[in-house]
Amino acid sequence: MSLTAWFELLASGLITGGIYALVALGLNLQYGLMRILNIAHGEFLVLGAYLTWWIHTSFGISPLWMLPVSFLLLLAIGMLVHRLCFRRLAATAPDLDAFEARGLMVSFGMMFVVQSAVSLTWGADLRGYDYLTQPVVVGPTQFAANMLLIFGLSLAFSLALIALLRYTLLGKGVRALMQSPVGAQLVGIDTRRLHPLMFGVGLGLSGIAGCLLSMTWTISPSMGAPYTVTALIVITLGGFGSMIGALAGGLLLGVVEALGMHFTSPSLKMLLSYGVFIGVLLWRPNGLFAR
Amino acid sequence: MSQADSKAARRSPTEGRFAAPRPVSPRRRRLAQALALAGGSLALPALAQKSEAPLRIGYAIARTGPWAGGAQVSQEPNYLMWAEQQNAAGGADVKGVKRRIELISFDDRSEMETCIRTYEKLMGSDKVDLILPPWGSNANFALAPLANRHGYPMLAPTALSRKLVDMNLPFFFSLLQQPDRMMGALVDLLVAQDIKSIAILYMDDLFGLENFAALNNALKKTRIQVLERKSYPLGVKDLSPVLRTIKDQSPDAFIGITYPPDTILASRQSKEIGFNPRLFYASVGTAFQLYRNVIGAGAEGVTGMGSWNAKSSAGAKAYFDAHKAKFGGKEPDRWASGHCWAGLEILTQALGKVGMDRKAIRDYVAKTEHQTIVGPIRFQGSENATIPGSVGQWQNGEFEIVWPKQLATGQLAMPKPEWK
Repeated sequence: MSLTAWFELLASGLITGGIYALVALGLNLQYGLMRILNIAHGEFLVLGAYLTWWIHTSFGISPLWMLPVSFLLLLAIGMLVHRLCFRRLAATAPDLDAFEARGLMVSFGMMFVVQSAVSLTWGADLRGYDYLTQPVVVGPTQFAANMLLIFGLSLAFSLALIALLRYTLLGKGVRALMQSPVGAQLVGIDTRRLHPLMFGVGLGLSGIAGCLLSMTWTISPSMGAPYTVTALIVITLGGFGSMIGALAGGLLLGVVEALGMHFTSPSLKMLLSYGVFIGVLLWRPNGLFAR
Repeated sequence: MSQADSKAARRSPTEGRFAAPRPVSPRRRRLAQALALAGGSLALPALAQKSEAPLRIGYAIARTGPWAGGAQVSQEPNYLMWAEQQNAAGGADVKGVKRRIELISFDDRSEMETCIRTYEKLMGSDKVDLILPPWGSNANFALAPLANRHGYPMLAPTALSRKLVDMNLPFFFSLLQQPDRMMGALVDLLVAQDIKSIAILYMDDLFGLENFAALNNALKKTRIQVLERKSYPLGVKDLSPVLRTIKDQSPDAFIGITYPPDTILASRQSKEIGFNPRLFYASVGTAFQLYRNVIGAGAEGVTGMGSWNAKSSAGAKAYFDAHKAKFGGKEPDRWASGHCWAGLEILTQALGKVGMDRKAIRDYVAKTEHQTIVGPIRFQGSENATIPGSVGQWQNGEFEIVWPKQLATGQLAMPKPEWK
């Protein structure tokens, strides 16, 4: 296989992986920080995708403008959902395990609510639009402009989140909460404010991912669940709560899938993903990047 | 008996403030009788109209889940429009008697189990008069034997499976052309266009596998060289690694046995990598309005499964326009939508001729040649024996039927222009 072919394969793997990473980061924030395994994460992605499609096709507004709109709207929805559901659950659950189990059930229900709401509002038809599909020459080969944009933006948003958590006071507070919730509260970190905000940011990221996805893939109300599953694989790969891990895990999974699809068959894609997943669980049960 | 009922029963009949009967004067009674009579005569026409029970027609179809994309384009809109049109004319003609159509429909959530259970209930306990089929080869495959056992005729608009047809279920009729016909037509076209090499990408489910097998079978009689055969799963998000491999082999034609999201994905990614063979064929979804909307000018020259458009017949034009008007500009797809409507036309004719008798309807459907918007349809066993396999192509914003001649609405344009 030529060098160009290798480059093409790795690049297309990284592009897909970038999206995986972005979806996984949001979920990881919710699970790593609050132990909320939000099964409905992918459904909120659908909401971001439909909003972008709808605004773009109805009013001709560029999908890029919808990035901040989707983020803020889903942030607000996230904070509301946290206030209505998870805060009450946290107050009434006897211990963390019970909270995790109950949270899982609640988000499972939420999955149907969001999916049905999208179906009711926009119908079940497959939707899509044409945006930046022109090929752009990159070195010896070419990629669609929207794919490169998606890759660049998902990487940028992922790195921005990682930088936020690493270098700001807010980020320090969040990391402290991840390491030791009780210890963090003892030194004065306000969980009542930080938890809803971070849950909202997690959903906001899925809104951004949905907005980006709609630029290149067709969208339907049922498209979310596979992304949730992939995100779960990615955060297990990277290690629960590890943001760098989620980014690296997402990119790795994308590359493994692309290589696997080339050398075997696309039909074996899920087998490859789960193969990597099981391998990591056996070899490093806490994830590749867990300390 | 409930608690409230038993209490009421224990109460004496004269208990209560207005219970004691008061004598009514004979004059007043006559007046009341006259009024009642007048009221009754006013209500009579309405009563006469309502005396015929509505025709209860049940179905389950995907409104949510992965099947919904196809079901909501090619199938359910037709059911709704048909019932509305029939009711607007005072009801369906059931052997000379007008009966309103009452649709009893459920969302099968793209789940086979939900789908089958719903039909089990509709036929077994609700005992609806007729059923309309669910969406897709898989669901029809599962339902057909059950419907057959219950004796419900099934005119399936979206079932593409030779295996299902070969089961020879007397109550099952498939409106679409079967894989051997569709793939046979495609291969005839390839041969006629002197295509020497092809690459095949196919979906690994019942639809994909049967069409793939039929395609290979048809290719056996030709000298066309197959450079690549690759399968992919439902919900695939990236086909570019495979398409790049195929591009490196420069086949004359690309044959995708694909579903709507993958049809669009394969087209977009072919444009992305600059893969532009002389003939580009993708199966389901190419004939959708969505394809033209999403791929835009790049759709020009793309071929796919299709068998009719508004130019095919006057009936087809009327149907196309009515569909667009009813669903806010949404166009029917140029393949299964038309066949679905044809199925409803056949059902309407059957009801008019033999009445609401499921066995008689079955016999009528099986033995008659039906005039429909997609052409005359006659069944041989379960198979639509009159409509040949066909190929369509996007040309200036319309999906023209380009193969075979008897269905053609336009000339095949080769080679496919560059993706725009």
